[in-house]
Amino acid sequence: MVDWRLYEPLINFARKRSMWIVAFCTGCGGIEMPPLMTSRYDLERFGMMPNPAPRMADLFLITGYVTPKTLKRIIITYEMQPDPKYVLAHGSCPLNGGIYWDAYNAIKHLDKYIPVDVAIAGCMPRPEAVMDGIKKIMDLIETGKADGWKRYKENYEYYKKNQDELFGEGWREKTARRWIPWLMGREKKREEE
Amino acid sequence: MAEEVKASWSKGEEIVRMLLEKAPYAEGTVRRERRLEFKVPADRIVDFLRTAKANGFELLLQITAVDWLKEGEIELVYQLFSISHGTHAMVKTRLPRDEARISTVMDIYPVAETYERDAHEFFKVTFEGNPKLEMPWILEDEDREVGVSHRKDFDMLGYVKRKYKLLDRFDEDKENYVI
Repeated sequence: MVDWRLYEPLINFARKRSMWIVAFCTGCGGIEMPPLMTSRYDLERFGMMPNPAPRMADLFLITGYVTPKTLKRIIITYEMQPDPKYVLAHGSCPLNGGIYWDAYNAIKHLDKYIPVDVAIAGCMPRPEAVMDGIKKIMDLIETGKADGWKRYKENYEYYKKNQDELFGEGWREKTARRWIPWLMGREKKREEE
Repeated sequence: MAEEVKASWSKGEEIVRMLLEKAPYAEGTVRRERRLEFKVPADRIVDFLRTAKANGFELLLQITAVDWLKEGEIELVYQLFSISHGTHAMVKTRLPRDEARISTVMDIYPVAETYERDAHEFFKVTFEGNPKLEMPWILEDEDREVGVSHRKDFDMLGYVKRKYKLLDRFDEDKENYVI
């Protein structure tokens, strides 16, 4: 039986150099992604790559304000990712609401709903700031301090309570079934024709 | 200077005159170049838009609503655009705030369906004849149940504080800072 903890530094080094990003852009920070990924700032030299499937991704970039509607999808996507998974929150909106502090439709504290490893301040952070945050998260991964995914498992009751307070109990099923009456109506019409 | 701003646009006045001949119940003015304004009573809006479409106003750009709290009225603004005349036209109509009901214009401009859903959701204007009014639109179900609207008398800040459990900046026992 191999004690895999021996190899953890090596594994962590490999993890920090091969972060794949979920291509899920919320808010205004999505606009900062193209210069980051393309030739000007070229994130691929850090081994990062935008990835369409959350099942293969490590890093979740929350790029800007989060509406409750998006937060539902973010939580579901976050839970779809395999461990280990890291969350990087851009800008002041996920921190405290930012300029949307009095908006009915923007989350004020993202870390109440999912754990955030690194938060970058700014409105909007420049690509340099984002790269600085990525450097930070690489350091945290290497030292084993980026433990958001562990915190999410350990404190799942806390996160679940906050999510349920905001969305109401059973919001996953409710959201999934939201369109069924309308789709059924359309099918009925088709049958009548 | 004031005269220059008010400078009339002769082509627009011609368009207004031509439309008002066919729809005498409306009032029309030229706001400035390429901006026409019509005021129509709420029960004749369908007739007016039909006339307008037959006379060169091919596109409906938007339906917006304005809440006039003191007058107790909701103003609907139908923004029309004419390619053949090259001008915008704002068709304004006023509804009582308590019972905001108006007939749909979907059969004239099909795009109105979406904008009517929008005005229904945020300003509680009922468009009679639009089959998709109750379909989920921008608001989430939990917001809709509480009755979130952009009407002026809705206490939006209070609702935000309750929803996100934010305490006031000047609360004595605050644990949670907003700013």
